[in-house]
Amino acid sequence: MIGYAMAITKASAGVPAVPAAEAIMAPELSWAGLILLLPLLSLILCGLCAAAKVTSKLPAVITATALAGAFVTSVFLYLNYQPPGDVIPLLDWMNISWGDGQFESFSANFALYIDSLSLLWIMFVTGLGTLITIYASEYMEPDLGKGYSRFFAGVSVFLFAMAALVLSDNLLMLYLGWEGVGFASYWLIGYYYQRPAAVAAAKKAFIVNRIGDLGLALAVYLIWTTFGTVQYDELMTVLEDGDYRAAFEGWTVSAIPFLLMLAAFGKSAQLPLYVWLPDAMEGPTPVSALIHAATMVTAGIYLVARTYPLFLLEPVSLHVVAWVGGLTALLAATIGMAQYDIKRIMAYSTVSQLGYMFLGLGVLTTYGAAYHVFTHAFFKAVLFLTCGAIMHGFAGQLDLRHLSGLRHMRGWRITAWTMFIGCLCLAGFPFTSGYFSKDAILAEAFVTQGPGFEILGWIAIFTAGLTAYYTFRVWFRVCAGPVAYEPGDELHGEDDHGGEFHPHAPRLAINGVLVLIALGALVAAVPYFMSNTADEHLAGGWVADMVHDSTAREGIPGFHGDAHAGHGDAHPTIFGADPHVAMYWISGTVGMIGLLFAAWLHLWRRSQADAIKAWLLHRAWIGWLPRAMERKWYVDEVYHALIRAPLWILGHILYAFDRFIIDGLLVDSVARIPRGVARCLQPLQSGAVQAMAIVMVGGAAIILLLMALFMQFGWFGGQA
Amino acid sequence: MTDRLWLLIPELVLLAGAVSCAILGVSRSVAIRRLLPAATVVTLLVALAASVFVYVPGAVEAATGPGAVPLPWLGRAVIPITVVVGLVLVLVQAGFVDRVYEMAVASGRTTFDPLRSARGEYYVFFLLSMAGLMLTCAAPDLIWLFLALELTSLPTYVMVAMSRDDRRAQEAAMKYFYLGAMSAAMFLFGFALLYGATGTMVLGDMQAVLAGRMADTGSIGSLAVIGLLLSVLGIGFKLAAVPMHLYAPDVYEGAAAQVTAFLGFVPKASGAIALMLILSLTGWTEEGGSLPPAVLITLWLMAVLTMTLGNIGALLQSNVKRMLAYSSISHSGYMLIGIIAGPGAGFAAVLVYLLAYGLGNTATFAVLASLRAGDHEVESIDDLAGLREKHPGLAWAMAISAGSLLGFPPLMGFWGKLLLFIAGVASGHLVLIVIAGINSAISAWYYLRLVALPLTGTPSSTSGSIERRPYEGPRMAAVACTVLLICLPLLLGSIMSQASDAVVTVDELRNSAGVDE
Repeated sequence: MIGYAMAITKASAGVPAVPAAEAIMAPELSWAGLILLLPLLSLILCGLCAAAKVTSKLPAVITATALAGAFVTSVFLYLNYQPPGDVIPLLDWMNISWGDGQFESFSANFALYIDSLSLLWIMFVTGLGTLITIYASEYMEPDLGKGYSRFFAGVSVFLFAMAALVLSDNLLMLYLGWEGVGFASYWLIGYYYQRPAAVAAAKKAFIVNRIGDLGLALAVYLIWTTFGTVQYDELMTVLEDGDYRAAFEGWTVSAIPFLLMLAAFGKSAQLPLYVWLPDAMEGPTPVSALIHAATMVTAGIYLVARTYPLFLLEPVSLHVVAWVGGLTALLAATIGMAQYDIKRIMAYSTVSQLGYMFLGLGVLTTYGAAYHVFTHAFFKAVLFLTCGAIMHGFAGQLDLRHLSGLRHMRGWRITAWTMFIGCLCLAGFPFTSGYFSKDAILAEAFVTQGPGFEILGWIAIFTAGLTAYYTFRVWFRVCAGPVAYEPGDELHGEDDHGGEFHPHAPRLAINGVLVLIALGALVAAVPYFMSNTADEHLAGGWVADMVHDSTAREGIPGFHGDAHAGHGDAHPTIFGADPHVAMYWISGTVGMIGLLFAAWLHLWRRSQADAIKAWLLHRAWIGWLPRAMERKWYVDEVYHALIRAPLWILGHILYAFDRFIIDGLLVDSVARIPRGVARCLQPLQSGAVQAMAIVMVGGAAIILLLMALFMQFGWFGGQA
Repeated sequence: MTDRLWLLIPELVLLAGAVSCAILGVSRSVAIRRLLPAATVVTLLVALAASVFVYVPGAVEAATGPGAVPLPWLGRAVIPITVVVGLVLVLVQAGFVDRVYEMAVASGRTTFDPLRSARGEYYVFFLLSMAGLMLTCAAPDLIWLFLALELTSLPTYVMVAMSRDDRRAQEAAMKYFYLGAMSAAMFLFGFALLYGATGTMVLGDMQAVLAGRMADTGSIGSLAVIGLLLSVLGIGFKLAAVPMHLYAPDVYEGAAAQVTAFLGFVPKASGAIALMLILSLTGWTEEGGSLPPAVLITLWLMAVLTMTLGNIGALLQSNVKRMLAYSSISHSGYMLIGIIAGPGAGFAAVLVYLLAYGLGNTATFAVLASLRAGDHEVESIDDLAGLREKHPGLAWAMAISAGSLLGFPPLMGFWGKLLLFIAGVASGHLVLIVIAGINSAISAWYYLRLVALPLTGTPSSTSGSIERRPYEGPRMAAVACTVLLICLPLLLGSIMSQASDAVVTVDELRNSAGVDE
């Protein structure tokens, strides 16, 4: 505790406790630019495929190859990696200066900032991107020759923008990547653009994200005016020296983390901006898995981790991050419990898990947050991809009331059991990857001192129980029990065999990818046990190593060496035990309780579950609770009433104002002035060459005369 | 002298190219005559390649030796800019030159007569004018400067006259020629006074004399000031700066759109460069010195009046070409800001702006050149309404190039304007920048019409009859310019460093060469 308290007090005095690492310019590593170049190339080739109306799977092959190349490049980069990292210049972009001072220049180049944090992110982004592209090559089959090229072009745009976001060496390039992934997300959510729901969802995602983007734009601007740079290495040096503009220190230093937070909450779907993510499930499922579960939505976590020293300057900001994260986790979990659409349940669970990650950031465990991002990327990808396989095979059926017993059906066993692995990890079943990464966050909530962090810790533990319940509610309903199913509403001719529906089971590409990612989800527990190389005081294995060499190093358990390593009496306890140890037991128990509840209600006594629900709904004192949960706590309705309707009215008022007052009175009359002047001058433009010559020479003569008089009499306070 | 010749290799290449075009143009074979645009392109590319080899650090001797010019490395940026814009300009011309006659020959209605064919001559004039522009930046003395300026302008008079079989083109050419001659007389008179004041024609010596006088008496003397003023006003004609701007609308409207695109860039660039050279004569450098107040006030007035009158004039026009003519006047006003901001950042910003403006301007005229309304060119701006429905590519090119000319981020025009404004603020001319900002806002009124009408307008009966011309050149030029306007900002860093390297003064170059040795 003392260690963390010290970190905050020292940091808030404007001096981060630990000197920032000086990254080294490494132009010889410029082959790393391939990570950006390959997706771009694949975008161009997919565009050409679309233009040439290719009807084969060529676009998928191109994209998968390019992304695999990017993944291999990232791995090479990791193998070449030496702390404290490199800056790889690619292309000069902007170097503007109007003086020699600290605040009289602006530079932002296309350069890559390679430290352990960006490497961690880029490896799972490109790796999962490759696998999900392979999955999508089979999933998108019905669209072959129609939207197939468009889909993979969108995936390429996304990977390009995401790589730019993660690898950029300055906030401006990060901003470009940030906008780029937002655009790619809009593109892909609205992929089925003939469906009004998809178009509305795409618009909703885009508009809600704009609110966050506004925060990011303002934050970049304020960071530049306050610290005089937007490049990470320079920014870290400035923070270390503490020589930023004192005049602004008062409010900008406090405002910056809140603006960054707004951006992160928009992109990573936290309260109050989470509403777009569940709707984003209108996009094709591989997109949901890649963008809206594993990678893009973690950009907010990345942003906060990347700018962590700025958050440490304003401790209140981290408290807000922790509380928003914790409350989002709880709210989304309660909504997820009452939904029937399995993809939406997974979407709410993503929102909930992202809440955990922010909680981790807020309670000073960047390591826990990063580790949870890492494990979540795998197990949530598996869960979405299995949902996608089911949706694909059952003609769009996603309602868990109409699906049952998948594990007994031929061809569906791989889907059922890989989903089981994903569910175990998500539920935090002991010794799965999700168990270790979630514990790191939960325990730290009890260790770190902060306003109500202990309450927050109990909320998070309760939410862990809810998570286990709703996760296994899905699995027990869909995969266990007697075989029963109804097709969805997207029947294709091929499914219809003489009036009887036959689900078509996934084939090689889907099954292969499911198995690989499920294995990844299991193996993701291994880094926890790998030894630390960077610092012997560290706990948490390889991921802690990866966070240690980065800007987010302040939030690693044991980073502040001795104070924490020998915490002893200063360390808070739960039931008299060290939270780190106690949490293994507590969260394991809570998870098992949730799982058993799910098994009781949805496997062994399904009819009883319905009876209980009916009973609850008919009791006035409690009936509102399940109803509100099913209706998502009426958040959409509240937003509609509080924001959309007033905006709609305001828009009409402003339109009328603009139309009649501004346009009618102001603009037209102002525009009349120059036009009037121009009319007066027009006779001079008679077009006769003599008149022109006279005006030209006359004008020159007047100027000469004025200047001669000026020199003679020293007008305007000067002379020749 | 051989050292100086070394620096002139790119210009010599253009001259050689012009001679070969003259020969190719009178060939009886249609296939050979069709090679002319390609020959022009090759000439420009060879000149570009030559400039890369010419402006190497090893050529410092040539640049700083006897008879050195005040800004010896100017060609280093001006030649690439000229070639890039020149290449798209060739595309705009391709296929249109002497089309009527060539079609008559092809259909067998007449037999080919070298005396009547003008295609070869046209490209000769094209290349000669470009050579004049490049020679301007290499001028070591006033006579050279005068000849280079006239070499830039004289071919353009003929090009206007040749541009179409139309009385309006003849009229425009006559006006352009007479008024151009008048302005030449004006700046020649200024040059004569400068010679009288200093006793030398060589720019380097003249700079030394004036700097010495400045150090002794605190002023360069009234005669030299009046000489400078006359030169600035006369050269203002090339830029179409107030009060020498009156010809621009008539000439731009009278000439065919292809030639107007050329007029909008080449003479303007040579005028801006000549101004930089003439003004550095006063010993005005990045480190110190300043313009004589009378010259500064004149330039300031010219800048303010040019951008304001240009923009106000453009507001009134319903004719697209006249509107663009007025708007190009206002762009000269913006460029004068960079000239006022001075050597170093200001001049470098002018060079970047020339590139941005040249591409944007060429793109808008290329769009106009690739459209026709019946037998005529597109006249009214309303004819562009709803262009997107039939020609989406051209509509987008028009919208993006107008956006760039307006200075809409992140297009190239935005960065050009931003650099000019930054240079202006850094040199302390805040009032000028505020006026320029207001002018930019006014220009949004008419530029946004060019963005909105083609993209969102509904086609009317007249705009529905707009067709594409049968040749591809202008369309390709419009697309190429548009792509460049979007993509060049990505290379902004290297463009800016090239531009600031190019405006290094001879003293700085000598100093750094001395340090190296």
